[in-house]
Amino acid sequence: MSVAWQFYISTVLIYLGVDVIACWGLNLQFGVAGLVNFAFIIFQAAGAYTAAILTLGRAEPASQGGFQQYVGGAHWPFPLPILAAGLVGGLLAALVSGVTVRRLRSDYEAMVMLVVSLIATSVATNQVGLVNGPNGLALVPKPLSTLVNLSPIDYQWLFVGLTAAICVCVYWVVHIVTSSPLGRTLRAVRDNEQAAAALGKNVTGLRMLAFILGGVIAGISGAVLVEFISAWSPGSWLYPETFVYFTAVIVGGSGNNLGVMVGALHVPVAFLEATRFLPPFGPPGLIDALQWIVVGALALIFLWFWPRGVIPERRRRFPVAAKDEVLVRTGE
Amino acid sequence: MSDLSAPVLAVQDLHREFGGVHAVNGASFTVPAGRITGLIGPNGAGKSTALNIIAGALKPSAGTVSYQGKDITGLPSYKVARRGIIRTFQLSSEFAALTVLENLLVAAPAQRGEALWQAALGKRYWRPQERATVEHARQLLARFDMSAKEDEYAGNLSGGQKRLLELMRGLMANPALLLLDEPMAGVNPSLARRIEQHLADLVGEGLTMLMIEHELAVVERLCDPVVVMAQGRVISQGTMADIRSDQEVLDAYLIG
Amino acid sequence: MNTIVPAIGFGIVTASILAVAGVGFTLQFGVTNILNLAYGDIMTAAAFVAYLVTSAGLSVWLALVAGAAFGSVFSVLLNRCIYTPFVRRGTRLFGMIIVTIAVSLMVQNGLLAIFGASFFSLKMPHPSSVHIAGMVFTTVQLAIIAIAVVAMLLIHLLLRYTKLGKAMRATAADPDLARNCGIATDRVIDLAWAISGALCGLAGVILVMNVTAFTETTGAQFLIPIVAVAVLGGIGQPYGAMLGALVIGITSEVAAAIFNPEYKDVVAFVILVIVLLARPQGILSEVATRKEVAA
Repeated sequence: MSVAWQFYISTVLIYLGVDVIACWGLNLQFGVAGLVNFAFIIFQAAGAYTAAILTLGRAEPASQGGFQQYVGGAHWPFPLPILAAGLVGGLLAALVSGVTVRRLRSDYEAMVMLVVSLIATSVATNQVGLVNGPNGLALVPKPLSTLVNLSPIDYQWLFVGLTAAICVCVYWVVHIVTSSPLGRTLRAVRDNEQAAAALGKNVTGLRMLAFILGGVIAGISGAVLVEFISAWSPGSWLYPETFVYFTAVIVGGSGNNLGVMVGALHVPVAFLEATRFLPPFGPPGLIDALQWIVVGALALIFLWFWPRGVIPERRRRFPVAAKDEVLVRTGE
Repeated sequence: MSDLSAPVLAVQDLHREFGGVHAVNGASFTVPAGRITGLIGPNGAGKSTALNIIAGALKPSAGTVSYQGKDITGLPSYKVARRGIIRTFQLSSEFAALTVLENLLVAAPAQRGEALWQAALGKRYWRPQERATVEHARQLLARFDMSAKEDEYAGNLSGGQKRLLELMRGLMANPALLLLDEPMAGVNPSLARRIEQHLADLVGEGLTMLMIEHELAVVERLCDPVVVMAQGRVISQGTMADIRSDQEVLDAYLIG
Repeated sequence: MNTIVPAIGFGIVTASILAVAGVGFTLQFGVTNILNLAYGDIMTAAAFVAYLVTSAGLSVWLALVAGAAFGSVFSVLLNRCIYTPFVRRGTRLFGMIIVTIAVSLMVQNGLLAIFGASFFSLKMPHPSSVHIAGMVFTTVQLAIIAIAVVAMLLIHLLLRYTKLGKAMRATAADPDLARNCGIATDRVIDLAWAISGALCGLAGVILVMNVTAFTETTGAQFLIPIVAVAVLGGIGQPYGAMLGALVIGITSEVAAAIFNPEYKDVVAFVILVIVLLARPQGILSEVATRKEVAA
């Protein structure tokens, strides 16, 4: 396989990994717990900025040739920046959900989160000293690049491996939550919070838990992404990006981790990447515009025909215990 | 064995307004152990509001609620539920996207695997207890003749089946006091008779209940004592016979 | 002090635009219960219609009418062809938000695809400045204020004195009751979308009359302040929206003059978040309800 093809495929795989991780996080918040987090992208962004700052080192002042300003800085080795990114995503989620967790009508809740997303973009763009404003951060060193001496394409495959390993870890977390009684309780809260509270469930605490876990996962996805593309600016995380992830989750099948993987494949990766193959036609920006129109149309079509997604939430059945099993247990 | 003479629940001088309307206006009554206390009264008497206050879904503007001798006024509903007061809802409130069996499993109190760290310990930690809970739920389903619907999505049940699920879910939570908000509302007569029989069996097994009910014949058969509310106050308490002869009750109600 | 008085002047102009847009938005939400996040993009589309009219050499007043008419027709069609079918299919609150966002994306990018990524402006006669009480207005801005005042008056007359207006107020106050009384018929809903759509289109045109240049995102950027206005005044309360427009319009301009002008929008954002968290029924809702009861 030619090196160019290898580059393309490995890139797609890495983007797929990042989007799958992000979608699992969003699925935990929205599909399982029923939280409408229209500010989802800011948690990914927070993770990306954190990982970037913790790999770039301290900002050089402009007088010494530095061209980007930001707060803090360190030269932490992999995987610490990624773990820190998850932590920051979780802390931000704790802050946001702590303030907004009072139950609003779900469309008001959505509005509040959307506005939070816009405020975050505004602050990041205008407070230049924070994360270098509209230009963002660049030249983020890639993980392990100083430790290993690989050709670019071999390094790319290494990164694919790292991404896959992180995917496995995130999947474990998401799986233990959704397949356990905790997951069942979260879904009950999603379906009818009053009834859940009447059965003794701490709805507020459970909601915050799901929100924070989703924030941690979103932060991790941002870290992996920034370590790969080495740059991050407000343009990378405008509010429609949240909508792309929501479309992926809904299209794939919200509430189902496998379905969400399918959604992550379809929406962010398959069709956004596939249009790269089209020869540029029309005035610049036309293809981008058409992409977004397709995203919108896709969401409408899927919401119409498959309101529960391509792979909808699984019906959970419980095996009938063999008689002797029950007898043995009661005999203990 | 608990002291049967001490009331399980005592409501004292409850008040609650909604924008100038006094829904509950100084209501006081007690609920004794091991029996079904009926809560009756004309529409707008404040019965549902009073029940919501007891269950922690609403805060009273004045008055107290004590349970087993302790003051629980103003506690949020999940804390009230954890103390053993379980309520059912008048409108169907099933977990629609969960199966019937899962609806029951959610209700089981103190489950292993509900906290994050417990879930992290994996199936080996919480699965055995869950199996036992599943068995308990299946027994309940059998008792209510709903075994065939175990894997059905709760949202797909008929209205009557949802009422039964509501009751089973409440029982699954192992209540010390069960608050029933019109458990037979909108249900066909034969199912109503079945629910009535279930309630009679339950009280025979010693479960304490407080029931809002409109059909007086049912109240007469099941409830002792009966509390009559009108215009936010309690206007009479006692056995059904006592109440039938109370002039104030007759005035407040058109008793057929 | 020197910067505040002119800022108040800007604020009045912004408030005028916000009032027209906000009243349209709140009527839409009040009667139909749909949070139409495509509202800002319909404004932009109406602005482009106005742009086509003025580029063809026709008068600005014609462009205003064309924009309002476009907004009206487009909104009715949008509701009939997309929103109502989804609602009938059982799409719940959250699903409808996704639907409106999808429409928003499609309209916005459709405009981008058709007109290209550039800056546009309406061809208007060159305005002159007028000084009033320490504030500076261009003749265009005075026209905007006048248009807004006239529009608000018409709406007031509609709501108070016509059967349709009463039907709309009833539906906004208690939709289930209105439906049971046979009030919220399809015809009332259509007319509600037509009128709020006209306001939407009108707002889009006067919005771009007030800026040096606009793009396909101009209307969408205005959406949050519009929602803030509607929520501040109490959803479904048009008089509340008018008041909310004054508050937010003037506050954000004055804040921009005192602090960083970049944060002008943030003021509206923050007000919206605070109101939603602290008092989601809006500031005026209690006053309005009493008036409804009395009327």
